[in-house]
Amino acid sequence: MTTSSASPKKAPRKVATRKRAATAKRPAATKKSALKPASVLIVGAGFAGLGMAIRLKQAGIEDFVILERANAVGGTWRDNQYPGAACDIPSNLYSYSFAPNPSWSRSFSGSQEILDYIHHLVAEFALESHIRFEKNVEDLTFDEKKGMWTATTGKGEQFAGRAAVMAQGPLSNCSFPAITGLEDFKGHKIHSARWDHDYDFSGKKVAVIGTGASGIQIIPELVKQAKHVKVFQRTPGWVMPRPDFATPQWNKKLFEKLPASQQAMRNLLYWTHESMALAVIWNSPLTRIAERVARLHLRRQVKDRWLRRQLTPDFTIGCKRVLVSNDYYPALQKDNAKLITWPIARLSEKGIRTVEGIEHQVDCIVFATGFDVSHSGTPFPVKGRKGRVLGEEWEGGAQAYKSINVSGYPNLYMTFGPNSGPGHNSALVYMESQLDYAVKGVQKILQGDLKMLDVKEAVQRKHNKAMQKRLAKTNWNSGCKSWYLTEDGFNATMYPGFATQYAAQMADFEENDYETA
Amino acid sequence: MASIDLDKMLAKIKSTQWALSDIDWDAPGAELITEEQWPKLKDFMADLMWIEHVGARAFAAMAKKAPTDTLREIYTYFHAEEQRHANAEMALMKRWGMLEGDEIPEPNINLRLVIEWLDRYSDEMPVYVLGTVVPMLEIALDGALCTFLLETVKDPVCHQAFEKINDDESRHLGVGFSVMEMQGRGKTFIGATKMLAPLLDPRLMLGIASYVPLLNKMRDNIITMGLPEERLYAAMAKFEKIGGRTEDGRRNPWYQVIRQHAKFVVNRNNRAYHVPVDGMVKLTGLIPRRALPAVPSWVKELTYQPTA
Ligand SMILES: Cc1cc2nc3c(=O)[nH]c(=O)nc-3n(C[C@H](O)[C@H](O)[C@H](O)COP(=O)(O)OP(=O)(O)OC[C@H]3O[C@@H](n4cnc5c(N)ncnc54)[C@H](O)[C@@H]3O)c2cc1C
Ligand SMILES: [Fe+2]
Ligand SMILES: [Fe+2]
Repeated sequence: MTTSSASPKKAPRKVATRKRAATAKRPAATKKSALKPASVLIVGAGFAGLGMAIRLKQAGIEDFVILERANAVGGTWRDNQYPGAACDIPSNLYSYSFAPNPSWSRSFSGSQEILDYIHHLVAEFALESHIRFEKNVEDLTFDEKKGMWTATTGKGEQFAGRAAVMAQGPLSNCSFPAITGLEDFKGHKIHSARWDHDYDFSGKKVAVIGTGASGIQIIPELVKQAKHVKVFQRTPGWVMPRPDFATPQWNKKLFEKLPASQQAMRNLLYWTHESMALAVIWNSPLTRIAERVARLHLRRQVKDRWLRRQLTPDFTIGCKRVLVSNDYYPALQKDNAKLITWPIARLSEKGIRTVEGIEHQVDCIVFATGFDVSHSGTPFPVKGRKGRVLGEEWEGGAQAYKSINVSGYPNLYMTFGPNSGPGHNSALVYMESQLDYAVKGVQKILQGDLKMLDVKEAVQRKHNKAMQKRLAKTNWNSGCKSWYLTEDGFNATMYPGFATQYAAQMADFEENDYETA
Repeated sequence: MASIDLDKMLAKIKSTQWALSDIDWDAPGAELITEEQWPKLKDFMADLMWIEHVGARAFAAMAKKAPTDTLREIYTYFHAEEQRHANAEMALMKRWGMLEGDEIPEPNINLRLVIEWLDRYSDEMPVYVLGTVVPMLEIALDGALCTFLLETVKDPVCHQAFEKINDDESRHLGVGFSVMEMQGRGKTFIGATKMLAPLLDPRLMLGIASYVPLLNKMRDNIITMGLPEERLYAAMAKFEKIGGRTEDGRRNPWYQVIRQHAKFVVNRNNRAYHVPVDGMVKLTGLIPRRALPAVPSWVKELTYQPTA
């Protein structure tokens, strides 16, 4: 389950099909055309890769290629089409400020609408011709003499670029978890991020494993469709109420006619989320207040004391991703739903055996178990100067300079790199600062005709020392296990501060921090 | 027995799981229960099943309070394993025709009081209180009740089930005593006075008030079934011996309290203890069922059916 598959049959993928047909007409990248280096190679056509392309275009750089392993754009929002999939940051903030969409239908848009927005970006900025689909990058190597990055795909095709952008997404790989007996189960298995739209849930007994961000969105929908839903929870998360509503027509009109009003809305949302940092990132009085709000939400929606106990987290809010939902708790209490907190012992032919000795028999298991997040490796080999291999250097935990460059790997930019993760604000807000920083770097390389723009080792080290010191004081490092941390508790994922601070960090491209050649 | 490596123990627990469906509950042998045995065995099994279930709830409380991630996870498993024991014992009762319809056997009034207390207060108790009471009950269960049961009952399915249950229990005891020693280790844990402070907590007093008559009542039930009293003495001696095998273990003030109390319980000649406590049993027997709140929903999770 490492490559994403976009099924062309499904209705939600309609747009994707069209794209595919369009690309099929164009001659596929041949080895010959591939050898001519582009100015920039971009890996991944999700929000990050496409955003990078737009910003390059806006800076007058047209000579770039996007390599995408699937046959459609969209990344997260192409892959996560499970029922109930939606963003949990308001759409007006979970979109690019340089490409506002006045007509979001809801405050928190569904996955399909976000995917439509992404397709709209591709069309509006004419990115189509830059994208090479079904190019699964399996190796990225820097040639120091030529000052050139070469990407090699699974089929052996090669693409070269003077600069490279790794935008393959932090949450794009998933697999079934390593549960004993996984292969013994003879029923149907579905991973939330690779939804099977052909499976009919009506009349079926279903198990959902996992109660994280995806799980709590899927469960209410399945409870509506299936005969019975058993929810297997390991640790409960903090759930906040979700101020979701349909956007009134006048509002869409206003945003259309008066873009400044949408910008004002975005600013308001931005600052509201910024203030959440105080509760979520650091343990402050606001943390207690946030926990109180979540507890009240639980108390209001769940009357049974034992169920409430089962659903009450025992870690500080913010230590793991904060969940938002209005319909998750009520769904669990429907007659055809049941929360199970016994640990899973194994899967068997007919279902799930839990430690209290009972086999829970089901027709289908939905795995909402999250993604394969690598804290210490790289998703494919990345080789820098003097044969250095990034995955090896990162064994003890990933480190970069300002999350975007790594010393020894010149001209390489990463979106969602080490310590760039937001805990409280839109990922795209962070992304925008990264894209602009990368554009500045690329401009320096092209304008100065540089072979190499490489961040200095000492500068990177100093940056990380400060970073880990700040992280030690955050809720993420307060003792709970989460995908933010490595097995040893090293935090290579999150940015310990406000989005505003992050933006300030990324605002200047300090040439002195870099070695050039 | 040196202190055990808890991480290894957790791995071991995870790799030695069993399920009710591993046992053929319809296999021959049920007829080996004699007519004379049947009614007493029925009461005995109902008590046993309820102690397992109550033990399960105690582990659930410990799973929230334990000082390390590993211990919290171990207790989460023990919580489920005790539930499994209760489920398996119910399955035996079903096999022997001891369940009226599909009903869970009614808990006696003393059990109801303990359930009530666990439901209200156990999550607020410091982990070392339950951490000492639980091994004591487990050793009584393991060393006296279960051995006795297996000597009396010839049904092979019963033996098969208890072989699995006892394997689990040996791990519960291993962890239990290890933790008691950890708690006695002054530097890493809290001072004795602080550890005993909860004794003055009215919530704990309520707990004691419900737990003490339960023990007396159960002791009586067991003895009616023909369990020699010496077995209980032997079990208590075992608790005393293992719990006190190291300096650390003896330094745990809760070990001292529980040990002393256990001695009172088994010694029926100690009138200063038993006269008032037996009085309490009688008194609690007068509490009308209606006066008690509805059973908490965790009690409804019990089942004798291997699949759901
Ligand atoms: C269910 C879900 C809900 C989310 N909700 C929010 C939210 O509300 N707010 C928020 O801020 N963030 C949210 N996120 C985080 C989300 O992942 C990011 O906001 C954002 O979409 C990431 O964009 P990306 O382009 O970096 O990665 P992706 O969208 O994952 O795109 C990466 C692309 O690269 C391709 N690719 C990967 N590897 C290779 C390779 N080796 N070769 C070629 N191509 C490759 C993939 O196929 C994919 O198309 C959510 C994530 C999920 C999974
Ligand atoms: Fe037990
Ligand atoms: Fe036990």
